[in-house]
Amino acid sequence: MNTSAQPRLVMQAKALVKRYGSVTALDGSDFELRAGEILAVIGDNGAGKSSLIKALSGATTPDSGEIQLDGVVTRFRSPIEARRAGIETVYQDLAVAPAMTIAENLFLGREIRRPGWRGSVLRMLDKRRMIEESVARLAELKVGIRSMSQALETLSGGQRQCVAVARAAAFAKHVVIMDEPTAALGVKEGGMVLELIRRVRDRGLAVVLISHNMPHVFEVADRIHVARLGKRATVLDPKKINMSDTVAVMTGALRPEDLPADALAH
Amino acid sequence: MSNPEATKPNVGGLQWPAGLSVAVLGPVIALVLACVFFATQSDHFLSGANFSLILQQVAVVGVIAIGQTLVILTGGIDLSCGMLMALGGIVMTRFATTLGLPPALAMACGVGVTALFGLVNGLLVTRIRLPSFIVTLGTMNIAFAATQLYSGAQTVTDLPPLMTALGDTFSIGSTQFAWGTVAMLALYAVAWFVLRETAAGRHVYAVGNNPEATRLVGIATQRVLLVVYVVAGALYGVASVLSVARTGVGDPNAGQTDNLDAITAVVLGGTSLFGGRGVIAGSLVGALVVGVFRNGLTLMGVSSIYQVLVTGVLVILAVTADQLSRRGAR
Repeated sequence: MNTSAQPRLVMQAKALVKRYGSVTALDGSDFELRAGEILAVIGDNGAGKSSLIKALSGATTPDSGEIQLDGVVTRFRSPIEARRAGIETVYQDLAVAPAMTIAENLFLGREIRRPGWRGSVLRMLDKRRMIEESVARLAELKVGIRSMSQALETLSGGQRQCVAVARAAAFAKHVVIMDEPTAALGVKEGGMVLELIRRVRDRGLAVVLISHNMPHVFEVADRIHVARLGKRATVLDPKKINMSDTVAVMTGALRPEDLPADALAH
Repeated sequence: MSNPEATKPNVGGLQWPAGLSVAVLGPVIALVLACVFFATQSDHFLSGANFSLILQQVAVVGVIAIGQTLVILTGGIDLSCGMLMALGGIVMTRFATTLGLPPALAMACGVGVTALFGLVNGLLVTRIRLPSFIVTLGTMNIAFAATQLYSGAQTVTDLPPLMTALGDTFSIGSTQFAWGTVAMLALYAVAWFVLRETAAGRHVYAVGNNPEATRLVGIATQRVLLVVYVVAGALYGVASVLSVARTGVGDPNAGQTDNLDAITAVVLGGTSLFGGRGVIAGSLVGALVVGVFRNGLTLMGVSSIYQVLVTGVLVILAVTADQLSRRGAR
Protein backbone atom coordinates (compact mmCIF):
# COMPACT_ATOMS: atom_id res chain seq x y z
CA MET A 1 0.00 0.00 0.00
CA ASN A 2 1.13 3.46 -0.77
CA THR A 3 0.90 5.20 2.57
CA SER A 4 2.69 8.45 1.79
CA ALA A 5 -0.09 10.03 -0.27
CA GLN A 6 -3.59 10.06 1.24
CA PRO A 7 -5.18 6.98 -0.31
CA ARG A 8 -8.58 7.40 -1.89
CA LEU A 9 -11.43 5.94 0.14
CA VAL A 10 -13.68 3.82 -2.04
CA MET A 11 -16.13 3.01 0.68
CA GLN A 12 -16.63 4.40 4.10
CA ALA A 13 -19.10 3.78 6.90
CA LYS A 14 -19.60 5.89 9.99
CA ALA A 15 -21.20 4.88 13.28
CA LEU A 16 -23.34 2.05 11.91
CA VAL A 17 -25.92 0.74 14.34
CA LYS A 18 -28.03 -2.33 13.82
CA ARG A 19 -30.25 -3.87 16.46
CA TYR A 20 -32.18 -7.11 16.30
CA GLY A 21 -34.70 -6.86 19.10
CA SER A 22 -32.68 -6.49 22.29
CA VAL A 23 -29.46 -7.60 20.63
CA THR A 24 -27.17 -4.86 19.34
CA ALA A 25 -25.24 -6.38 16.47
CA LEU A 26 -23.57 -3.16 15.35
CA ASP A 27 -22.84 -0.58 18.01
CA GLY A 28 -21.43 2.38 16.12
CA SER A 29 -19.12 0.53 13.78
CA ASP A 30 -16.82 2.49 11.44
CA PHE A 31 -15.34 1.15 8.23
CA GLU A 32 -12.87 2.41 5.66
CA LEU A 33 -11.92 0.72 2.42
CA ARG A 34 -9.20 2.14 0.19
CA ALA A 35 -8.86 1.88 -3.56
CA GLY A 36 -6.88 -1.14 -4.69
CA GLU A 37 -6.48 -2.82 -1.33
CA ILE A 38 -7.47 -6.12 0.18
CA LEU A 39 -9.03 -5.35 3.53
CA ALA A 40 -9.57 -8.41 5.69
CA VAL A 41 -12.43 -8.23 8.16
CA ILE A 42 -11.97 -10.53 11.14
CA GLY A 43 -13.77 -10.96 14.40
CA ASP A 44 -15.08 -13.55 16.80
CA ASN A 45 -18.60 -14.88 16.43
CA GLY A 46 -20.98 -12.11 17.47
CA ALA A 47 -18.39 -9.36 16.99
CA GLY A 48 -20.61 -7.72 14.39
CA LYS A 49 -18.54 -8.90 11.45
CA SER A 50 -21.34 -10.39 9.42
CA SER A 51 -23.77 -7.59 10.32
CA LEU A 52 -21.23 -5.10 9.02
CA ILE A 53 -20.83 -7.02 5.77
CA LYS A 54 -24.58 -7.37 5.40
CA ALA A 55 -24.95 -3.61 5.75
CA LEU A 56 -22.20 -2.95 3.20
CA SER A 57 -23.58 -5.43 0.68
CA GLY A 58 -27.17 -4.28 1.02
CA ALA A 59 -28.44 -7.46 2.66
CA THR A 60 -29.65 -5.41 5.64
CA THR A 61 -30.24 -1.71 6.18
CA PRO A 62 -28.60 -0.25 9.30
CA ASP A 63 -30.80 1.53 11.87
CA SER A 64 -28.50 4.55 11.91
CA GLY A 65 -25.15 5.67 10.61
CA GLU A 66 -24.17 6.33 7.02
CA ILE A 67 -22.40 4.54 4.20
CA GLN A 68 -20.48 6.45 1.55
CA LEU A 69 -19.49 5.06 -1.78
CA ASP A 70 -16.84 7.16 -3.53
CA GLY A 71 -17.70 10.03 -1.21
CA VAL A 72 -21.43 9.91 -1.90
CA VAL A 73 -23.83 8.89 0.87
CA THR A 74 -25.76 5.82 -0.22
CA ARG A 75 -28.46 3.66 1.24
CA PHE A 76 -29.02 0.14 -0.06
CA ARG A 77 -32.37 -1.49 0.43
CA SER A 78 -31.34 -4.76 -1.22
CA PRO A 79 -28.25 -6.58 -2.49
CA ILE A 80 -29.50 -5.80 -5.98
CA GLU A 81 -29.23 -2.07 -5.32
CA ALA A 82 -25.71 -2.53 -4.00
CA ARG A 83 -24.85 -4.48 -7.11
CA ARG A 84 -26.17 -1.70 -9.30
CA ALA A 85 -23.99 0.72 -7.37
CA GLY A 86 -20.94 -1.37 -8.26
CA ILE A 87 -20.54 -3.59 -5.20
CA GLU A 88 -20.43 -7.31 -5.95
CA THR A 89 -20.62 -9.94 -3.24
CA VAL A 90 -19.31 -13.49 -3.47
CA TYR A 91 -21.21 -15.73 -1.11
CA GLN A 92 -19.93 -18.83 0.57
CA ASP A 93 -22.06 -21.27 -1.38
CA LEU A 94 -19.73 -21.72 -4.34
CA ALA A 95 -22.19 -21.66 -7.21
CA VAL A 96 -25.03 -19.71 -8.74
CA ALA A 97 -26.62 -22.35 -10.95
CA PRO A 98 -24.66 -25.62 -10.79
CA ALA A 99 -26.33 -27.30 -13.77
CA MET A 100 -25.75 -24.30 -16.04
CA THR A 101 -22.60 -23.53 -17.98
CA ILE A 102 -19.75 -21.32 -16.81
CA ALA A 103 -20.60 -18.70 -19.42
CA GLU A 104 -24.24 -18.72 -18.35
CA ASN A 105 -23.27 -18.35 -14.72
CA LEU A 106 -20.96 -15.45 -15.49
CA PHE A 107 -23.66 -13.61 -17.40
CA LEU A 108 -26.73 -14.66 -15.41
CA GLY A 109 -29.01 -11.64 -15.08
CA ARG A 110 -26.78 -9.64 -17.44
CA GLU A 111 -27.20 -11.63 -20.61
CA ILE A 112 -26.06 -10.20 -23.91
CA ARG A 113 -28.55 -10.34 -26.76
CA ARG A 114 -27.77 -10.72 -30.42
CA PRO A 115 -27.51 -7.58 -32.50
CA GLY A 116 -30.35 -6.67 -34.85
CA TRP A 117 -33.85 -8.06 -35.04
CA ARG A 118 -32.88 -11.45 -33.67
CA GLY A 119 -31.95 -9.76 -30.41
CA SER A 120 -34.69 -7.14 -30.29
CA VAL A 121 -37.65 -9.09 -31.71
CA LEU A 122 -36.78 -12.73 -31.01
CA ARG A 123 -34.75 -11.79 -27.90
CA MET A 124 -32.11 -14.31 -28.86
CA LEU A 125 -29.03 -14.57 -26.68
CA ASP A 126 -25.64 -13.95 -28.18
CA LYS A 127 -24.14 -17.14 -26.80
CA ARG A 128 -21.04 -16.92 -28.92
CA ARG A 129 -20.20 -13.47 -27.61
CA MET A 130 -20.92 -14.43 -24.01
CA ILE A 131 -18.60 -17.41 -24.35
CA GLU A 132 -15.89 -15.29 -25.96
CA GLU A 133 -16.20 -12.65 -23.25
CA SER A 134 -16.14 -15.32 -20.56
CA VAL A 135 -12.95 -16.69 -22.06
CA ALA A 136 -11.46 -13.18 -22.08
CA ARG A 137 -12.54 -12.40 -18.52
CA LEU A 138 -11.17 -15.62 -17.12
CA ALA A 139 -7.97 -15.27 -19.13
CA GLU A 140 -7.47 -11.75 -17.72
CA LEU A 141 -7.59 -13.23 -14.25
CA LYS A 142 -5.54 -16.25 -15.32
CA VAL A 143 -8.25 -18.69 -14.34
CA GLY A 144 -7.37 -21.79 -16.30
CA ILE A 145 -10.68 -23.32 -17.20
CA ARG A 146 -10.77 -24.70 -20.69
CA SER A 147 -14.32 -24.84 -21.84
CA MET A 148 -16.88 -22.17 -20.99
CA SER A 149 -19.67 -24.49 -22.05
CA GLN A 150 -19.21 -27.08 -19.34
CA ALA A 151 -21.63 -27.17 -16.47
CA LEU A 152 -20.43 -25.47 -13.31
CA GLU A 153 -20.95 -28.66 -11.30
CA THR A 154 -18.28 -30.43 -13.36
CA LEU A 155 -15.66 -28.13 -11.80
CA SER A 156 -13.85 -28.57 -8.51
CA GLY A 157 -14.90 -26.46 -5.54
CA GLY A 158 -11.91 -24.14 -6.02
CA GLN A 159 -12.62 -23.68 -9.70
CA ARG A 160 -16.25 -22.92 -8.96
CA GLN A 161 -15.23 -20.34 -6.43
CA CYS A 162 -12.85 -18.86 -9.02
CA VAL A 163 -15.79 -18.53 -11.42
CA ALA A 164 -17.81 -16.79 -8.71
CA VAL A 165 -14.92 -14.41 -7.97
CA ALA A 166 -14.35 -13.75 -11.68
CA ARG A 167 -18.03 -13.00 -12.10
CA ALA A 168 -17.89 -10.46 -9.28
CA ALA A 169 -14.66 -8.93 -10.56
CA ALA A 170 -16.04 -8.63 -14.07
CA PHE A 171 -19.06 -6.62 -13.03
CA ALA A 172 -17.98 -4.75 -9.90
CA LYS A 173 -17.24 -1.09 -10.49
CA HIS A 174 -15.91 -0.36 -7.02
CA VAL A 175 -15.88 -3.15 -4.49
CA VAL A 176 -15.84 -6.94 -4.32
CA ILE A 177 -16.96 -8.39 -1.01
CA MET A 178 -15.99 -12.00 -0.38
CA ASP A 179 -17.63 -13.87 2.44
CA GLU A 180 -15.38 -16.77 3.52
CA PRO A 181 -14.37 -17.59 -0.06
CA THR A 182 -11.89 -20.29 0.99
CA ALA A 183 -13.87 -21.86 3.82
CA ALA A 184 -15.10 -24.90 1.92
CA LEU A 185 -11.84 -25.55 0.11
CA GLY A 186 -8.77 -27.70 0.59
CA VAL A 187 -5.25 -26.28 0.87
CA LYS A 188 -4.37 -26.25 -2.82
CA GLU A 189 -7.73 -24.98 -3.96
CA GLY A 190 -7.74 -22.31 -1.26
CA GLY A 191 -4.34 -21.11 -2.48
CA MET A 192 -5.70 -20.89 -6.00
CA VAL A 193 -8.56 -18.66 -4.85
CA LEU A 194 -6.23 -16.46 -2.78
CA GLU A 195 -4.03 -15.95 -5.81
CA LEU A 196 -7.09 -14.91 -7.78
CA ILE A 197 -8.15 -12.46 -5.06
CA ARG A 198 -4.74 -10.79 -5.36
CA ARG A 199 -5.17 -10.47 -9.10
CA VAL A 200 -8.56 -8.87 -8.62
CA ARG A 201 -6.93 -6.30 -6.35
CA ASP A 202 -4.11 -5.75 -8.82
CA ARG A 203 -6.69 -4.83 -11.43
CA GLY A 204 -7.64 -1.87 -9.24
CA LEU A 205 -10.70 -3.13 -7.39
CA ALA A 206 -11.03 -2.82 -3.66
CA VAL A 207 -11.59 -6.17 -2.00
CA VAL A 208 -13.22 -6.90 1.35
CA LEU A 209 -12.26 -10.37 2.56
CA ILE A 210 -14.18 -11.89 5.44
CA SER A 211 -12.34 -14.90 6.78
CA HIS A 212 -11.79 -17.00 9.85
CA ASN A 213 -8.64 -18.42 8.34
CA MET A 214 -5.73 -16.40 9.81
CA PRO A 215 -3.01 -17.80 7.52
CA HIS A 216 -5.16 -16.84 4.53
CA VAL A 217 -5.77 -13.38 5.95
CA PHE A 218 -2.06 -12.85 6.53
CA GLU A 219 -1.22 -14.17 3.10
CA VAL A 220 -3.24 -11.65 1.12
CA ALA A 221 -4.53 -8.79 3.27
CA ASP A 222 -3.09 -5.28 3.01
CA ARG A 223 -4.88 -4.22 6.20
CA ILE A 224 -6.91 -6.06 8.79
CA HIS A 225 -10.11 -4.59 10.19
CA VAL A 226 -10.77 -6.14 13.60
CA ALA A 227 -14.42 -6.18 14.61
CA ARG A 228 -15.18 -6.53 18.30
CA LEU A 229 -18.33 -5.97 20.37
CA GLY A 230 -20.15 -4.37 17.43
CA LYS A 231 -17.43 -1.81 16.85
CA ARG A 232 -14.22 -1.53 14.90
CA ALA A 233 -11.59 -2.33 17.54
CA THR A 234 -8.68 -1.32 15.34
CA VAL A 235 -7.10 -1.72 11.94
CA LEU A 236 -3.86 -3.69 11.87
CA ASP A 237 -0.92 -3.88 9.48
CA PRO A 238 -0.28 -7.60 8.83
CA LYS A 239 3.37 -6.89 8.00
CA LYS A 240 4.00 -5.42 11.45
CA ILE A 241 2.09 -7.76 13.71
CA ASN A 242 2.06 -11.51 14.14
CA MET A 243 -0.88 -13.85 14.01
CA SER A 244 -1.11 -14.61 17.72
CA ASP A 245 -1.19 -10.92 18.69
CA THR A 246 -3.87 -10.36 16.06
CA VAL A 247 -5.98 -13.15 17.51
CA ALA A 248 -5.39 -11.71 20.98
CA VAL A 249 -6.74 -8.34 19.83
CA MET A 250 -9.69 -10.06 18.19
CA THR A 251 -10.61 -11.92 21.38
CA GLY A 252 -9.96 -8.94 23.65
CA ALA A 253 -6.96 -10.52 25.44
CA LEU A 254 -4.83 -7.68 24.13
CA ARG A 255 -5.98 -4.07 23.94
CA PRO A 256 -5.13 -2.17 20.74
CA GLU A 257 -3.65 0.60 22.90
CA ASP A 258 -1.06 -1.84 24.24
CA LEU A 259 0.24 -2.68 20.80
CA PRO A 260 3.37 -1.01 19.40
CA ALA A 261 2.25 2.00 17.41
CA ASP A 262 3.56 0.69 14.11
CA ALA A 263 1.41 -2.45 14.32
CA LEU A 264 -1.58 -0.28 13.58
CA ALA A 265 -2.32 0.33 9.93
CA HIS A 266 -2.30 3.91 8.77
CA MET B 1 -4.98 -23.62 -12.29
CA SER B 2 -1.64 -22.03 -11.57
CA ASN B 3 -0.22 -24.11 -14.38
CA PRO B 4 0.61 -21.60 -17.15
CA GLU B 5 -0.33 -24.15 -19.79
CA ALA B 6 -3.85 -24.08 -18.52
CA THR B 7 -4.24 -20.34 -18.58
CA LYS B 8 -5.00 -20.29 -22.27
CA PRO B 9 -8.64 -21.28 -22.36
CA ASN B 10 -9.77 -23.26 -25.31
CA VAL B 11 -11.79 -20.97 -27.56
CA GLY B 12 -12.52 -23.97 -29.71
CA GLY B 13 -15.21 -25.04 -27.27
CA LEU B 14 -17.56 -22.45 -28.65
CA GLN B 15 -20.56 -24.71 -28.53
CA TRP B 16 -23.20 -24.27 -25.91
CA PRO B 17 -23.78 -27.55 -24.09
CA ALA B 18 -24.84 -30.01 -26.70
CA GLY B 19 -27.03 -31.47 -23.95
CA LEU B 20 -29.92 -32.17 -26.24
CA SER B 21 -28.55 -35.22 -28.00
CA VAL B 22 -27.21 -36.84 -24.84
CA ALA B 23 -30.15 -35.97 -22.61
CA VAL B 24 -32.75 -37.24 -25.07
CA LEU B 25 -30.86 -40.43 -25.81
CA GLY B 26 -32.25 -42.33 -22.80
CA PRO B 27 -35.93 -41.68 -23.56
CA VAL B 28 -35.34 -42.37 -27.27
CA ILE B 29 -33.91 -45.77 -26.39
CA ALA B 30 -36.93 -46.41 -24.17
CA LEU B 31 -39.19 -45.42 -27.07
CA VAL B 32 -37.44 -47.76 -29.50
CA LEU B 33 -37.51 -50.65 -27.02
CA ALA B 34 -41.21 -50.09 -26.36
CA CYS B 35 -41.90 -50.06 -30.13
CA VAL B 36 -39.91 -53.25 -30.69
CA PHE B 37 -41.71 -54.95 -27.84
CA PHE B 38 -45.20 -54.02 -29.02
CA ALA B 39 -44.32 -54.89 -32.63
CA THR B 40 -43.63 -58.44 -31.48
CA GLN B 41 -46.90 -58.54 -29.54
CA SER B 42 -49.30 -57.16 -32.13
CA ASP B 43 -49.38 -57.35 -35.92
CA HIS B 44 -51.25 -54.07 -36.09
CA PHE B 45 -48.71 -52.03 -34.15
CA LEU B 46 -46.25 -51.35 -36.96
CA SER B 47 -48.53 -49.59 -39.41
CA GLY B 48 -48.81 -46.04 -40.68
CA ALA B 49 -52.41 -45.86 -39.56
CA ASN B 50 -51.50 -46.91 -36.02
CA PHE B 51 -48.65 -44.43 -35.73
CA SER B 52 -50.94 -41.72 -37.00
CA LEU B 53 -53.38 -42.68 -34.26
CA ILE B 54 -50.66 -42.60 -31.59
CA LEU B 55 -49.57 -39.14 -32.73
CA GLN B 56 -53.16 -37.87 -32.53
CA GLN B 57 -53.61 -39.35 -29.09
CA VAL B 58 -50.30 -37.95 -27.91
CA ALA B 59 -51.06 -34.37 -28.97
CA VAL B 60 -53.13 -33.54 -25.87
CA VAL B 61 -50.75 -35.07 -23.32
CA GLY B 62 -47.83 -33.65 -25.31
CA VAL B 63 -49.08 -30.08 -24.99
CA ILE B 64 -49.91 -30.52 -21.30
CA ALA B 65 -46.39 -31.87 -20.84
CA ILE B 66 -44.90 -28.61 -22.16
CA GLY B 67 -46.58 -26.66 -19.35
CA GLN B 68 -45.67 -29.35 -16.86
CA THR B 69 -42.03 -29.25 -17.99
CA LEU B 70 -41.86 -25.49 -17.34
CA VAL B 71 -43.24 -25.91 -13.83
CA ILE B 72 -40.97 -28.87 -13.02
CA LEU B 73 -37.92 -27.00 -14.35
CA THR B 74 -38.54 -24.33 -11.70
CA GLY B 75 -38.53 -27.06 -9.07
CA GLY B 76 -42.31 -27.25 -8.68
CA ILE B 77 -44.99 -29.66 -9.84
CA ASP B 78 -48.44 -29.04 -11.27
CA LEU B 79 -51.06 -31.62 -10.32
CA SER B 80 -53.89 -29.49 -11.69
CA CYS B 81 -52.91 -29.87 -15.35
CA GLY B 82 -55.32 -32.62 -16.41
CA MET B 83 -58.32 -31.18 -14.56
CA LEU B 84 -57.64 -27.69 -15.93
CA MET B 85 -57.57 -29.20 -19.41
CA ALA B 86 -61.02 -30.73 -18.76
CA LEU B 87 -62.37 -27.47 -17.35
CA GLY B 88 -61.09 -25.48 -20.34
CA GLY B 89 -62.81 -27.93 -22.66
CA ILE B 90 -66.15 -27.64 -20.88
CA VAL B 91 -65.93 -23.83 -20.69
CA MET B 92 -65.20 -23.42 -24.41
CA THR B 93 -67.81 -25.91 -25.57
CA ARG B 94 -70.54 -24.56 -23.27
CA PHE B 95 -69.69 -20.98 -24.23
CA ALA B 96 -69.94 -21.90 -27.90
CA THR B 97 -73.17 -23.88 -27.57
CA THR B 98 -75.24 -22.73 -24.59
CA LEU B 99 -74.08 -19.09 -24.66
CA GLY B 100 -73.78 -19.04 -28.45
CA LEU B 101 -70.45 -17.23 -28.49
CA PRO B 102 -68.43 -17.31 -31.73
CA PRO B 103 -66.29 -20.46 -31.57
CA ALA B 104 -62.98 -18.59 -31.73
CA LEU B 105 -64.00 -16.38 -28.80
CA ALA B 106 -65.29 -19.39 -26.86
CA MET B 107 -61.95 -21.17 -27.31
CA ALA B 108 -60.13 -18.03 -26.17
CA CYS B 109 -62.34 -17.95 -23.07
CA GLY B 110 -61.47 -21.57 -22.31
CA VAL B 111 -57.77 -20.81 -22.57
CA GLY B 112 -58.33 -17.68 -20.48
CA VAL B 113 -59.96 -19.67 -17.67
CA THR B 114 -57.11 -22.18 -17.48
CA ALA B 115 -54.55 -19.35 -17.61
CA LEU B 116 -56.45 -17.69 -14.75
CA PHE B 117 -56.17 -20.89 -12.71
CA GLY B 118 -52.47 -20.88 -13.56
CA LEU B 119 -52.28 -17.33 -12.22
CA VAL B 120 -53.94 -18.43 -8.97
CA ASN B 121 -51.44 -21.31 -8.69
CA GLY B 122 -48.57 -18.90 -9.34
CA LEU B 123 -49.78 -16.27 -6.87
CA LEU B 124 -50.21 -18.82 -4.09
CA VAL B 125 -46.76 -20.25 -4.77
CA THR B 126 -44.98 -16.89 -4.98
CA ARG B 127 -46.89 -14.59 -2.62
CA ILE B 128 -47.86 -16.96 0.15
CA ARG B 129 -44.96 -19.30 -0.58
CA LEU B 130 -47.04 -22.45 -0.41
CA PRO B 131 -45.55 -25.63 -1.86
CA SER B 132 -46.71 -26.10 -5.46
CA PHE B 133 -47.69 -29.68 -4.66
CA ILE B 134 -50.35 -28.59 -2.17
CA VAL B 135 -51.52 -25.55 -4.15
CA THR B 136 -52.10 -27.55 -7.31
CA LEU B 137 -53.63 -30.46 -5.39
CA GLY B 138 -56.19 -27.90 -4.23
CA THR B 139 -56.79 -26.30 -7.62
CA MET B 140 -56.96 -29.76 -9.20
CA ASN B 141 -59.97 -30.59 -7.04
CA ILE B 142 -61.51 -27.16 -7.48
CA ALA B 143 -61.17 -27.45 -11.25
CA PHE B 144 -62.65 -30.96 -11.18
CA ALA B 145 -65.65 -29.79 -9.15
CA ALA B 146 -66.11 -26.71 -11.35
CA THR B 147 -66.05 -28.92 -14.45
CA GLN B 148 -68.69 -31.27 -13.07
CA LEU B 149 -70.90 -28.43 -11.77
CA TYR B 150 -70.76 -26.30 -14.90
CA SER B 151 -71.36 -29.25 -17.24
CA GLY B 152 -73.91 -30.93 -14.99
CA ALA B 153 -71.73 -33.99 -15.61
CA GLN B 154 -73.12 -33.99 -19.15
CA THR B 155 -71.07 -34.24 -22.34
CA VAL B 156 -71.38 -31.12 -24.50
CA THR B 157 -72.22 -31.96 -28.09
CA ASP B 158 -73.23 -30.27 -31.38
CA LEU B 159 -70.11 -28.16 -31.59
CA PRO B 160 -69.53 -25.61 -34.37
CA PRO B 161 -67.18 -26.96 -37.07
CA LEU B 162 -64.35 -24.56 -36.25
CA MET B 163 -63.94 -26.21 -32.86
CA THR B 164 -63.16 -29.55 -34.42
CA ALA B 165 -61.01 -28.21 -37.28
CA LEU B 166 -57.74 -29.11 -35.56
CA GLY B 167 -58.98 -32.70 -35.43
CA ASP B 168 -59.10 -32.83 -39.23
CA THR B 169 -56.39 -34.78 -40.93
CA PHE B 170 -54.26 -34.50 -44.04
CA SER B 171 -52.32 -37.21 -45.83
CA ILE B 172 -48.65 -37.60 -46.43
CA GLY B 173 -48.39 -40.65 -48.64
CA SER B 174 -50.87 -43.09 -47.20
CA THR B 175 -50.51 -41.87 -43.60
CA GLN B 176 -53.00 -39.49 -42.03
CA PHE B 177 -51.82 -36.65 -39.82
CA ALA B 178 -54.04 -34.44 -37.66
CA TRP B 179 -53.56 -30.69 -37.56
CA GLY B 180 -53.55 -31.01 -33.78
CA THR B 181 -50.31 -32.98 -34.03
CA VAL B 182 -48.83 -30.21 -36.13
CA ALA B 183 -49.95 -27.65 -33.55
CA MET B 184 -48.28 -29.67 -30.79
CA LEU B 185 -45.01 -29.89 -32.70
CA ALA B 186 -45.11 -26.13 -33.37
CA LEU B 187 -45.58 -25.46 -29.63
CA TYR B 188 -42.63 -27.71 -28.83
CA ALA B 189 -40.52 -25.76 -31.32
CA VAL B 190 -41.50 -22.46 -29.66
CA ALA B 191 -40.83 -23.82 -26.17
CA TRP B 192 -37.49 -25.23 -27.30
CA PHE B 193 -36.50 -21.86 -28.74
CA VAL B 194 -37.53 -19.84 -25.70
CA LEU B 195 -35.94 -22.19 -23.17
CA ARG B 196 -32.69 -22.47 -25.09
CA GLU B 197 -32.17 -19.17 -26.83
CA THR B 198 -33.62 -16.46 -24.60
CA ALA B 199 -32.67 -15.02 -21.22
CA ALA B 200 -36.22 -15.64 -19.96
CA GLY B 201 -35.81 -19.34 -20.71
CA ARG B 202 -32.41 -19.57 -19.07
CA HIS B 203 -33.84 -17.84 -16.00
CA VAL B 204 -36.40 -20.65 -15.68
CA TYR B 205 -33.47 -23.06 -15.35
CA ALA B 206 -31.62 -20.75 -12.96
CA VAL B 207 -34.64 -20.47 -10.65
CA GLY B 208 -34.88 -24.26 -10.56
CA ASN B 209 -31.15 -24.61 -9.94
CA ASN B 210 -30.73 -22.20 -7.08
CA PRO B 211 -33.59 -19.79 -6.37
CA GLU B 212 -31.83 -17.78 -3.65
CA ALA B 213 -28.61 -17.22 -5.61
CA THR B 214 -30.66 -16.36 -8.69
CA ARG B 215 -32.55 -13.73 -6.71
CA LEU B 216 -29.29 -12.29 -5.41
CA VAL B 217 -27.90 -11.78 -8.92
CA GLY B 218 -30.84 -9.49 -9.53
CA ILE B 219 -33.33 -11.70 -11.36
CA ALA B 220 -36.97 -11.20 -10.37
CA THR B 221 -37.44 -14.87 -9.45
CA GLN B 222 -41.02 -14.41 -8.26
CA ARG B 223 -42.00 -12.98 -11.61
CA VAL B 224 -40.30 -15.84 -13.44
CA LEU B 225 -42.33 -18.31 -11.36
CA LEU B 226 -45.58 -16.42 -11.85
CA VAL B 227 -45.12 -16.27 -15.63
CA VAL B 228 -44.30 -19.99 -15.71
CA TYR B 229 -47.53 -20.93 -13.92
CA VAL B 230 -49.66 -18.64 -16.12
CA VAL B 231 -48.06 -19.93 -19.34
CA ALA B 232 -48.50 -23.50 -18.10
CA GLY B 233 -52.18 -22.78 -17.40
CA ALA B 234 -52.64 -21.31 -20.87
CA LEU B 235 -50.98 -24.38 -22.41
CA TYR B 236 -53.46 -26.66 -20.62
CA GLY B 237 -56.17 -24.53 -22.27
CA VAL B 238 -54.55 -25.10 -25.66
CA ALA B 239 -54.51 -28.81 -24.83
CA SER B 240 -58.26 -28.65 -24.22
CA VAL B 241 -58.71 -27.06 -27.67
CA LEU B 242 -56.89 -30.07 -29.14
CA SER B 243 -58.85 -32.53 -26.99
CA VAL B 244 -62.20 -31.02 -28.00
CA ALA B 245 -61.13 -30.99 -31.64
CA ARG B 246 -60.09 -34.63 -31.58
CA THR B 247 -63.09 -36.02 -29.72
CA GLY B 248 -65.64 -33.59 -31.15
CA VAL B 249 -67.29 -33.08 -27.74
CA GLY B 250 -66.78 -31.29 -24.46
CA ASP B 251 -66.11 -34.16 -22.07
CA PRO B 252 -66.39 -33.47 -18.32
CA ASN B 253 -64.46 -36.69 -17.65
CA ALA B 254 -61.53 -35.80 -19.89
CA GLY B 255 -58.09 -35.36 -18.38
CA GLN B 256 -58.43 -38.05 -15.71
CA THR B 257 -55.37 -39.93 -16.86
CA ASP B 258 -53.62 -36.98 -18.49
CA ASN B 259 -52.32 -35.72 -15.18
CA LEU B 260 -50.24 -38.79 -14.47
CA ASP B 261 -49.44 -39.24 -18.17
CA ALA B 262 -48.03 -35.71 -18.50
CA ILE B 263 -45.90 -35.96 -15.36
CA THR B 264 -44.68 -39.38 -16.52
CA ALA B 265 -43.84 -37.95 -19.94
CA VAL B 266 -41.79 -35.13 -18.43
CA VAL B 267 -39.88 -37.34 -16.01
CA LEU B 268 -39.33 -40.08 -18.62
CA GLY B 269 -38.02 -37.30 -20.84
CA GLY B 270 -35.20 -36.70 -18.41
CA THR B 271 -36.37 -33.51 -16.68
CA SER B 272 -35.37 -33.66 -13.03
CA LEU B 273 -38.13 -33.36 -10.44
CA PHE B 274 -35.60 -31.43 -8.36
CA GLY B 275 -35.70 -28.62 -10.90
CA GLY B 276 -33.21 -26.85 -13.12
CA ARG B 277 -32.30 -29.75 -15.38
CA GLY B 278 -33.93 -31.11 -18.50
CA VAL B 279 -34.71 -30.45 -22.11
CA ILE B 280 -38.13 -29.87 -23.60
CA ALA B 281 -37.54 -32.32 -26.48
CA GLY B 282 -37.26 -35.05 -23.87
CA SER B 283 -40.85 -34.40 -22.79
CA LEU B 284 -42.03 -34.93 -26.37
CA VAL B 285 -40.22 -38.26 -26.51
CA GLY B 286 -41.58 -39.09 -23.05
CA ALA B 287 -45.12 -38.32 -24.22
CA LEU B 288 -44.56 -40.63 -27.20
CA VAL B 289 -43.36 -43.39 -24.86
CA VAL B 290 -46.51 -43.03 -22.77
CA GLY B 291 -48.62 -42.96 -25.96
CA VAL B 292 -46.92 -46.05 -27.35
CA PHE B 293 -47.47 -47.92 -24.08
CA ARG B 294 -51.16 -47.05 -23.96
CA ASN B 295 -51.64 -47.88 -27.63
CA GLY B 296 -49.60 -51.07 -27.52
CA LEU B 297 -51.33 -52.35 -24.39
CA THR B 298 -54.70 -51.61 -25.98
CA LEU B 299 -53.71 -53.58 -29.09
CA MET B 300 -52.65 -56.45 -26.84
CA GLY B 301 -56.11 -56.35 -25.32
CA VAL B 302 -54.92 -55.24 -21.90
CA SER B 303 -57.71 -53.43 -20.05
CA SER B 304 -57.32 -49.73 -19.40
CA ILE B 305 -56.97 -50.17 -15.67
CA TYR B 306 -53.75 -52.12 -16.27
CA GLN B 307 -52.56 -49.26 -18.48
CA VAL B 308 -52.94 -46.94 -15.53
CA LEU B 309 -51.01 -49.45 -13.45
CA VAL B 310 -48.21 -49.58 -16.02
CA THR B 311 -48.05 -45.77 -16.18
CA GLY B 312 -47.77 -45.66 -12.41
CA VAL B 313 -44.87 -48.10 -12.53
CA LEU B 314 -43.25 -46.10 -15.36
CA VAL B 315 -43.31 -42.83 -13.45
CA ILE B 316 -41.78 -44.42 -10.36
CA LEU B 317 -39.05 -46.06 -12.46
CA ALA B 318 -38.27 -42.76 -14.18
CA VAL B 319 -38.10 -40.84 -10.91
CA THR B 320 -35.91 -43.55 -9.41
CA ALA B 321 -33.52 -43.31 -12.36
CA ASP B 322 -33.44 -39.52 -11.93
CA GLN B 323 -32.73 -39.77 -8.21
CA LEU B 324 -30.02 -42.40 -8.61
CA SER B 325 -28.26 -40.51 -11.41
CA ARG B 326 -28.25 -37.30 -9.34
CA ARG B 327 -26.81 -39.18 -6.42
CA GLY B 328 -24.16 -40.65 -8.68
CA ALA B 329 -23.29 -37.21 -10.00
CA ARG B 330 -22.59 -35.80 -6.57
